[in-house]
Amino acid sequence: MADRKRKREPAGDGAKPEEEKGSRDNKEKKRTLLPSLIKNKVKRMAVHAKVKREKRIEKKKKAKSRADAHKRALELGEEPPPVSIPRTIENTREPDETVCKPDDEELFVGNDADEFSNILKQERIPKILITTCRFNSSRGPAFIQELLSVIPNAHYFKRGTYELKRIVEYANNKEFTSIIVIHTNRREPDALLIINLPDGPTAHFKLSKLVLRKDIKNHGNPTSHKPELVLNNFTTRLGHRVGRLIQSLFPQDPFFRGRRVVTFHNQRDFIFFRHHRYVFESKETKVDSNDAKTKSAKGKNLTQTKMIARLQECGPRFTLKLISLQHGTFDSKGGEFEWVHKPEMDTSRRRFFL
Amino acid sequence: MPRTTTVECPGYPPLRALTTDVVGLVKVLEVREKVGTPKVVETWGPPDASRSVVAASLADRKTNPLLAVARKNGLVEFLNPLNGNSLATVKVKDSVSSSNSTEDEPVAGLHLLGMKGTEPSSKLNKFLMCTTKGKACLRSVTVGDASPGSSHVDSPSTWNVCGAGSVLCSSVDGNENFALFGGKGVEVNVWDLEKCSKAWTAKSPPSNSLGIFSPTWFTAATFLSKEDHRKIAAGTNNHQVRLYDISAQRRPVLSINFRESPVKVVTEDLDGYTVYIGTGCGDLASFDMRTGKLLGCFVGKCSGSIRSIARHPRLPIIASCGLDSYLRFWDAKTRQLLSTVFLKQHLTSVMLDTHFSAEEIESADQPSDLQANDHSEVENDEELPPKVRSKTSRKKAHNKNKADKSKREAQYDELRDEDEQTTIESADDDDELPATTKRRKPLGGNEKRPKHKKSKKSIG
Repeated sequence: MADRKRKREPAGDGAKPEEEKGSRDNKEKKRTLLPSLIKNKVKRMAVHAKVKREKRIEKKKKAKSRADAHKRALELGEEPPPVSIPRTIENTREPDETVCKPDDEELFVGNDADEFSNILKQERIPKILITTCRFNSSRGPAFIQELLSVIPNAHYFKRGTYELKRIVEYANNKEFTSIIVIHTNRREPDALLIINLPDGPTAHFKLSKLVLRKDIKNHGNPTSHKPELVLNNFTTRLGHRVGRLIQSLFPQDPFFRGRRVVTFHNQRDFIFFRHHRYVFESKETKVDSNDAKTKSAKGKNLTQTKMIARLQECGPRFTLKLISLQHGTFDSKGGEFEWVHKPEMDTSRRRFFL
Repeated sequence: MPRTTTVECPGYPPLRALTTDVVGLVKVLEVREKVGTPKVVETWGPPDASRSVVAASLADRKTNPLLAVARKNGLVEFLNPLNGNSLATVKVKDSVSSSNSTEDEPVAGLHLLGMKGTEPSSKLNKFLMCTTKGKACLRSVTVGDASPGSSHVDSPSTWNVCGAGSVLCSSVDGNENFALFGGKGVEVNVWDLEKCSKAWTAKSPPSNSLGIFSPTWFTAATFLSKEDHRKIAAGTNNHQVRLYDISAQRRPVLSINFRESPVKVVTEDLDGYTVYIGTGCGDLASFDMRTGKLLGCFVGKCSGSIRSIARHPRLPIIASCGLDSYLRFWDAKTRQLLSTVFLKQHLTSVMLDTHFSAEEIESADQPSDLQANDHSEVENDEELPPKVRSKTSRKKAHNKNKADKSKREAQYDELRDEDEQTTIESADDDDELPATTKRRKPLGGNEKRPKHKKSKKSIG
C-alpha cells in the first residue's frame, strides 16, 4: 500500500500542477505555519508526514535531473556540468588568521626555538613515562598495556601516592622526555595528560570512545618496530604546537619495513587515534573487456597484476579533545595557560582551534 | 547563527604600540587613519630564541624616546623606538654581579627613568634593573653614539633586594624616587632610589581561620597612583589582589580574591584607584581599590595567560597581550573589545607610544625613505634625520593633543571630586588618597553638587 501511494504521488503532482493554484497557496501557507505549531496530534502528524514526503520527492527529482544532465552531456561529448561541492562544516569554517602558512619565516624560527626541537631534530631520543591517577583498575591497565605497545621506549610506573610534581621531578632526573598520565573515572579512562619535559608544555585532553584491541573485530597484533606517524589537519598555530607535542612522543626514525602506522587525525578539534598495520599486495584481476579492446585486441583473457594496499587495525582506538595547554610543566594552581577552552568560545559551530 | 570573531570597532584615534616577544622581535603596530584597525608596520631584530625578551621599558618622551629591552642571553639593549636602531648594549653581568657569580641571571625588571622629560638634551639615561636573584642596580648609559656596546659611564650603584627567594616583579613610582620589588618568597619592599636604602617592607597577612598560612608569592605589583608612592597594589600567586598602604600599616589594607588562577599583571589607571589585572588563564578585570569592588571583566575569548597590560595616558584605551599571541585593545571605560591583532609569537610585553598622531605619518614618510638611503651610505649619521623629524612633528602632534588632553583632565577632575564624596564615608579610605585631595582644592565644589549625586549613584 505504502509503496503504491508513493508511486502515485509524484505522478499526481506532475499531472495537475496548474489545476488548483488556490490549494497550492494554501499549502504554502501551511508550510509557513510549521507543523510543530499545530496542536492536534493527528493533524500534526499528518501534515508533518506530508511535508516530509514532498521534500523527499523534490530531492529525488533534483537528483534525477542532475543525473540526466550529466548523462546527456556525456552522450553529446560535452563537458559534464561541474559536480557541486556539498557545504560541510569544515569547508565553511570561520576564517582563522592563526592558520600556519608554509612561507612563514617566523613559524620556522618559532619551531626551532620551541621545547620539542631537540627531540624532533633527533638530538634526543624520546623516553616516555606512563603513569595513572591514584586509583586505577579495570580498563585503565589494559589501555596502558596497549599504549606501551604503541609507543616505543615507554615505561610504566605505578603511581602510588606520589604527587605529580614530584613525579615530574623524578622523571627529569631520569632523563625522560615526556610523561603521559592516564586519568580514570569510574573505572573508565577519561582524560589524558601529556607533559613535555624538562620545561613544558602540558596538554590536557579529554579521552573518549576508547575501544581496546580485543574489542576490535579482526584486529592484528602490532610488531615492535618503530611506527610511522601520520598527523592530519593540525593547521592553526595551536594545532601545530599540539601536533609537535604528539610528534615528540614517537621516535623520529620510523622503521618502514615494520609497516606499522600510528595516526592522529584532527577533525573539528577532535583528534582521532588509530593504529594500523598495512601490506602491499599484488593482486591479479581480470582485465575488463572494454579496457582490453582499447589496449590490445589479442588477449582477451589477460589478467592484470595490480598493487593494492590492505589495512588491518590493531591497537586501541580513541578520541582526544584538547581542554587546555599549559605553559611549563604541570601546575594546577599557579600555572599559566597558553590556551584554555572557555565556554564563551563555543558561540559558533564553525570555529575550530586546532 | 554563527557569530564572527571580528568585532565592530567603534573607532579610536591614531595610536602606536610596541610589543616584544619570546623570539626577540620587537613589533610596531600603528593605527593610521582617523578610525582604523591596528596593523603591524615594522618588525625589528632577527628572530632568535636566545634573544628572547624578558623585560622591556619605554621612556615615552616627546624628544629622545628610548626603548630598553632585556634579553634572555644577559644583554640589555637600547633601541630608538622610532626606527629600531640599536643605540647601546649593556651586559647584565657587568653591572649587577660585582661579586664572583659567573652565571647569567635572568632579568626580572627593567625600568627606564627620566619619564618626566626633564632632561631633553642629555644623552645620559638612567635605568633601574633587577635580576631574579634580587640584585638591583641603578645606573646610567649614554645613548646616541653610533657605536653600540662601549657606552656606560658611571659605576653602577647596586644593592641586594632580598637574601633568599626570587624577585618576580618591580615597579617605579611616578616621581622616580621610589621603587618596589616583590616575588616568590620576597615580601613587597620599597626602596628609596636616591639613598639606595630600604624604605618599607610589607608583612605577610596572618594565617586564616583554619590556621593555614599561604606562602609569600607576589607575581605583580605597581604603585597605585602616579604622584603618590604610598599606595601599592600587588597581585599574588594564590589569586589575590592586595592593597598596601605604607602610611597605615605593614599588612595589606585590602585583599580581594579573584577567580582561581594566579594574578600575572597589575596595572594602575590614571585616576589613582582603578587597577587592571590579568590572570594566568586569560581573565582581564578592573578593580576599584578604594572599595575592593570588581568593576567588571573584559570579555573577549581571551584564552592565554596575560603577560602585560598598558594604559594609554590620555585616551581611555588599554592594550593587553600574552601567551595566546594576540594583542588586544580594549575600551577602558566600557570594557569593550576594540580590536585584536595576531602576532604569531608568545608576547612578553606591550608598550604604548603616546606621542604619536596621524599627522606625523605624512611628514614621516619621506624621512623614512631618506633614512633608508642613509643606512646604505653612512651608518654613523643614521640617527640624525629621525630625531629632527621627531622633534618637529611630535611637537605639532602634542599641540594638537593638548586640547584633547585638557578636556580629559577636566573629566578626571570630576571623577576625583567623586572620590571626595565616597572616601569621606570611611576613615581608612580617606587616609588613602591624599594626593587626590591636593588636586581637588582649586575646583569649586558647590556648583557641581547635583552632578556628584548622579555619578555617585552610578558608582553605587
